Amino acid sequence: MKQVSEIKKDFPIFQRLINGKELTYLDSGATSQKPNIVIDSMSEVYKQNNANVHRGTYVLSSETTSKYEDVRNKFKNFINANSPEEIIFTKGCTEGFNLLANSLCKDLSEGDEILLSEIEHHANIIPWQMAADKYGLIIKYINVDKNFNLDMDHLETQLTNNTKIVSLVGESNISGMLPDIKNINKLIKSKTEALFILDGAQLVPHREIDVQDLGIDFLCVSGHKMLGPTGIGVVWGKKELLEKMDPVYGGGDMIEEVYYDKATWAPIPHKFEAGTPPYVEAIGLGAAVDYLSDLTMAEVQKHSDHLRLYAKNTLENINGINIIHTDSENAGCTFAMSVDGVHATDISLMLDTYGVAVRAGHHCVQPFHRKLNIDATFRATGYIYNDEKDFDTLANAIEDSLKILR
Amino acid sequence: MSIEAKVEQFKKTLSLFPNPQEKYQYLIEQAKLNEDFPTELRIDEFKVNGCQSQVWLVPEEREEKLHFSSDSDALIAKGLVTLIASIYSDESAQDIASSEIDLMEEFELGVILSPARRNGAFSMLKTIKEFAKKLAD
Repeated sequence: MKQVSEIKKDFPIFQRLINGKELTYLDSGATSQKPNIVIDSMSEVYKQNNANVHRGTYVLSSETTSKYEDVRNKFKNFINANSPEEIIFTKGCTEGFNLLANSLCKDLSEGDEILLSEIEHHANIIPWQMAADKYGLIIKYINVDKNFNLDMDHLETQLTNNTKIVSLVGESNISGMLPDIKNINKLIKSKTEALFILDGAQLVPHREIDVQDLGIDFLCVSGHKMLGPTGIGVVWGKKELLEKMDPVYGGGDMIEEVYYDKATWAPIPHKFEAGTPPYVEAIGLGAAVDYLSDLTMAEVQKHSDHLRLYAKNTLENINGINIIHTDSENAGCTFAMSVDGVHATDISLMLDTYGVAVRAGHHCVQPFHRKLNIDATFRATGYIYNDEKDFDTLANAIEDSLKILR
Repeated sequence: MSIEAKVEQFKKTLSLFPNPQEKYQYLIEQAKLNEDFPTELRIDEFKVNGCQSQVWLVPEEREEKLHFSSDSDALIAKGLVTLIASIYSDESAQDIASSEIDLMEEFELGVILSPARRNGAFSMLKTIKEFAKKLAD
């Protein structure tokens, strides 16, 4: 991969000083920063091409439509989907889960089971809870063991004939754990007819993904965590499954024929994309895919693995720090931390005065924090524009802050 | 001392600390001085919603003046709520209810006093004002 110092030059935000200090941005788990190529691609559309997609019979609309639909193809290649029709644009990962929960659960029967893990993001819990309430479904949770890994034995015992959906995180935004998706998929398919949904919010920005090789049924992706703008995400699903599903949102662009008393749906993917889509954001996401593809995801993944090991060793040396991090050899560069007797928000506020941006709170994984009996953690996540120096700055700032806070 | 005079006094004190780190250190010192909050009052009834840490504010009426005791499990939030409680303590419900002074505007306290509605300081002020308004009406 090109040097981090060179990559940083592509991200205008790193020219900013925060409290007089260089920005040490370690909150990409919440949202990533944006390279010029993404920002420019969006401003270019507004300046040069802007017109609503799929409607016009004029140059501008045709240009915008083709830019928008090109992104579907780019994304198809990015995750090795079978065809661009399998790529549905959403406004984010959360909307993706809501779409799937609403569309899939209405065809289930009372008592059917949905299997999640104890360490899921709220976006992969609440939509299922809402659907379960509505349709009388049962949600079960797979244990996460003391080393912050998915308990595979427990998963196996939880899979029964009643299991209709399994929805799991691909890379944990808390412990960095990377469940063995391919094997989990095999296990699910060998024991049940359940659909397997993967939460790719943290996984897709950092690691090479091949949905066909993984064998999963659906993938939810967040655009803004992978250098893209906010307001755009992707649901990928197997074509034959998407075709059978009903749309969740109704409106323009998702129909074939409309009568006063009924309507028929457009073919996939458009039947899931009601109304004017966030086409400028989608084009921004396309530029993000280009940027990552230029670096190559193999290199992005290598960088994440290297940085994670360095960060782990550096952070573990801080006196009194507890790190919620998997003991597996492979993991994401994500470190949720706490210090006994010191509140996470105090640490993150102090870190901000050193120009270090981390997140404090439960990171939308409140039930798991409750299980660990911790109110809040502060979390540092690394990405392509972070290097060893950023984690040195973090570690030094934590130690200095603790001198004041203890 | 009136609410306005106390605000002026704190503004002067805070201006002695030009950078955010020193301001936080000042709040942490204030927090460490505020040690007399009884643990048994750390209950939901007195919890201020909307803060990132747990914050408790206990209002009391003493000889026609209001008094606010406060606590938090985080030091910077505790320093802030200590400061806010001392500004509005020993004032009448009418004076607090009618005070239009905007602490968010007056104090330069960096990100902890940003005027976002979901901000903890906003919730602390709202709790105090609502209690005073109830008594003043």
